[in-house]
Amino acid sequence: MAGASAADVRSILSLPNPPTPGPSQPRRTPSTAEKARKPEGISRELYSLIGPSAPTLTAQLAKPRLKQKPNLGGGGRVKWRDLEMDWRSFKNGARGDKLELYHWVKAGTVPEADYPFAKYNVQTMTYVYSQDEYMRLLEDKDWTKDETDYLFTLVRDFDARWYVVYDRYEYEGGPERSMEDLKDRYYSVCRKLIRNRPWAGDETSKAQLITSLTFDKEREVTRKKYIASLESRTPQQKAEEDALYIELKRLEQGERRFKRDREELLRTLLGIDSGLPDLPVEEDGLNSGTTDTKKKKKGHFSATTEPETPVSASSNAPNVISLGQPQAKKSQSVSSARYDATHCIHRTEAPSTTLTTTKSAHVPVYLRSYKLPQPKAPSAARVAQVLGELGISHTRLVMPTRENCAQLENLLETASALVETKKVVDKVEQDIRIMKARLGQQESGGAETGDAAPTPMDVDDGNDAEGEVDGRAQSVISTRSARSRRASRRSMSISSVDTSAIGAVKRQKRG
Amino acid sequence: MVNYGGDEVSALVVDIGTSSLRAGYAGDDTPKAIIPTSYGYIELPQDQQLGAEGSGDGDVTMAEGDVATNGDAAPKLEKPNQKAKLYIGQNGPSMWREKMELSNPVQNGMISNFDPISSLIDHALRDVMHCEPSEHPVLVTEPAWNTPANRERMAEIMFEEFNVPAFYISNTSVLNAFAAGKGSAYVIDIGSSTASVTPVIDGFVLRRGLAHSALPQLVQAHARHLLTTPSSRRPGIDLWPHQLIAGRQPVDPGSTPKFELRQDRIAGTTATWKAWAEAREVEEWVQSVSGVLDQGWNEQAAGLRGARHYEFPTGYNNYFSAAERYSVGEQFFTHSPQLVSSNPNLPKTIPALISGSLSACDPEIRQVLMGNVVLTGGGSLFAGFVDRLQNELSRNFPHAKIHAPGNPTERRFGAWLGGSILASLGTFHQLWISKEEWQEHGKTIVGQRCK
Repeated sequence: MAGASAADVRSILSLPNPPTPGPSQPRRTPSTAEKARKPEGISRELYSLIGPSAPTLTAQLAKPRLKQKPNLGGGGRVKWRDLEMDWRSFKNGARGDKLELYHWVKAGTVPEADYPFAKYNVQTMTYVYSQDEYMRLLEDKDWTKDETDYLFTLVRDFDARWYVVYDRYEYEGGPERSMEDLKDRYYSVCRKLIRNRPWAGDETSKAQLITSLTFDKEREVTRKKYIASLESRTPQQKAEEDALYIELKRLEQGERRFKRDREELLRTLLGIDSGLPDLPVEEDGLNSGTTDTKKKKKGHFSATTEPETPVSASSNAPNVISLGQPQAKKSQSVSSARYDATHCIHRTEAPSTTLTTTKSAHVPVYLRSYKLPQPKAPSAARVAQVLGELGISHTRLVMPTRENCAQLENLLETASALVETKKVVDKVEQDIRIMKARLGQQESGGAETGDAAPTPMDVDDGNDAEGEVDGRAQSVISTRSARSRRASRRSMSISSVDTSAIGAVKRQKRG
Repeated sequence: MVNYGGDEVSALVVDIGTSSLRAGYAGDDTPKAIIPTSYGYIELPQDQQLGAEGSGDGDVTMAEGDVATNGDAAPKLEKPNQKAKLYIGQNGPSMWREKMELSNPVQNGMISNFDPISSLIDHALRDVMHCEPSEHPVLVTEPAWNTPANRERMAEIMFEEFNVPAFYISNTSVLNAFAAGKGSAYVIDIGSSTASVTPVIDGFVLRRGLAHSALPQLVQAHARHLLTTPSSRRPGIDLWPHQLIAGRQPVDPGSTPKFELRQDRIAGTTATWKAWAEAREVEEWVQSVSGVLDQGWNEQAAGLRGARHYEFPTGYNNYFSAAERYSVGEQFFTHSPQLVSSNPNLPKTIPALISGSLSACDPEIRQVLMGNVVLTGGGSLFAGFVDRLQNELSRNFPHAKIHAPGNPTERRFGAWLGGSILASLGTFHQLWISKEEWQEHGKTIVGQRCK
């Protein structure tokens, strides 16, 4: 193994093969002569273990040496560890002369024909004009040709850095020029040259170039004046501005708070829920409520005028309910009622019971089937039992239409009323039984003290209670079909007999 | 290599300031040679032999046509009838020598006397750095208000006397901006003799917005006046430098110092050397105890800072009150009305310089400049200076941002550092003025190339 790795290392380092053969060849027993060549600095035991086939190790162990020093020998070559650098001269292509500078280059690298940094010497495009062109196109009463030449030289020298150009602009005998004057002159000359010269490319690129050279002197001057005026404000003006700014912020904050309060109020009172895309909270002012309603209604009507397939309308209608539209309800006109009738739209009252302004009171849009009426908690088990006896699942409706839901609600209400009534009846019957038993005891015991008055009273009480319950049930049930009444009667009779026999009753799916 | 744009050609960077001359290799982060710009000289009698003179390090004899004793170069002398022995370098001006006069070739940041310049540069490059200038391109700095004649003279010295292969002269303000990594900046440079503000846009100085004043000199004069003038609290302080003191005894703070002067030296001490040495003592005191309040002058706020102890070479020591200490730094920012009325030619304060300079700039770039303020120069290391400047600027420019390196080396040698960066850029090498170009075009090439 050791021999193999050493061979690998050798091949990697491209060293000549060792005199010892590889592992595939029969190993020759080391002769005494080889043993005698044990290098210095390595113990005999170790050497006999690893043998002469670990040249890198022995080389390292051979003798302790000082840190390798860079060879600064001469001839412009430095060698340090594996890095060899040459001190080479180079010429810079960006220079006009034959200056030769020297720098360090990795030895062995081919000298590049071009100095690598010469490519960064990018000249900006400058426009030149001839005497003829100047005479024909560029005459200006404010500018002489010499001064224009001077300007173009400066722009070229400073690569169109206008602040610097303006700073260094010292034309003897010329008038005082502002930076805008210089820019205006330069760009106008460039534009004129481009317009009047033959253009190689297409028109759009020419137009682009011209627009890139446009300069609106008036606008620039105004802008500079404005900036200057910003800086020349007095401390009082600045303080006033600051005060105004703070006041503005305060007002904005107040407005925001007012909007928030108003939104909350509207949500509480009118039930504006999310799901309405345009809550009137973005509007401001108190009167916006009415205008908003109008706007909303308008939007609503404009929606109706759109061609709408009745299929989609009717398919939407039964599934999505309780879209609270209080504004529309408030001013429900005849036409909208008619519209609702034709499109099977039913408007429901917003849940006005929630008077809290908390977030939890907010009810979003929901599917009707998610909100099936549930029996009330104290009698829930009994009601469920009753319905179970009828074979009706109150937790799931196959077709949760509005009517069906209403019917289910009625059924549940009636059932719970029935359960309540039965409870009362049971209690009264129990009381009667007890009283009768007590009466019998008294009669048999010969005690003449009690009279019959309690019994009729008790009975009356029971009747009263029953009548009351009946009356209430009647009022609820009155809207219901005869069938359901019969069903409830039957359920009462059944449950009165046996309340625990649920499993015996066969289940029936009813719509 | 191309990625970060560096290509070192072992250029040398020479930055000459009022207090020191910095020289080093481009690409380094600190100059290798930092020598005082001031130099001492002893005028030689006409008949004295030169060969017998000068053996110490940094001694250069200026003589027309003669070979200096310990230098390879033979500097030319402008005034041929005068021979003088120069004392340059760390052991030059600071050592006492009999009849040694002291001088500084740099006045107001600008070289006013070119005679000793080549000796100074020669000392820095050959004696301190041990390199041969004729093998290296050299980048030299100049203040923004340098004259064309001055820069041409510098080019001449470099090409003709040092035989450099290539030369470039660059603006200290621009280099300070480069050292801060900015192309456009508002450079506030507080040197030892001159304070300047310079708007730099895209590596070019806007000359209209350039302003400078001899403010640091005023600050030092104020400090000197404060120390030497007798007041109700203490007598005037003697500013004898330690070179002239033979011995002293410890005394209590505020009491009269007990010291002996070196009487043997007093007679041979020249006025220029004494002035220089005393200025150093003042400078020492200023740097040790004085500062500037960050929120403007306020007697009460100054009182809270407490007194600070300082001892002079004479042994005199005292606790210097905060009002005294902070009134020195205040001179940078405000002048008292009576001072203004008594002296109409006062150097402008920093806020006055800035407002004057900015009003000359285009209103559009004022905000840009204020967002890139570069504070540099050894004088800006004054205690509390950055905070005070920030407060002064933010009064008018709420978005002013000051770049002030915390490293004193970067602050003191900002221009050199910028030169070091610039001269090691691959794209810069096309800008060198080569010897060939110099010979071909003459002096005009300097103005054309170094804009």
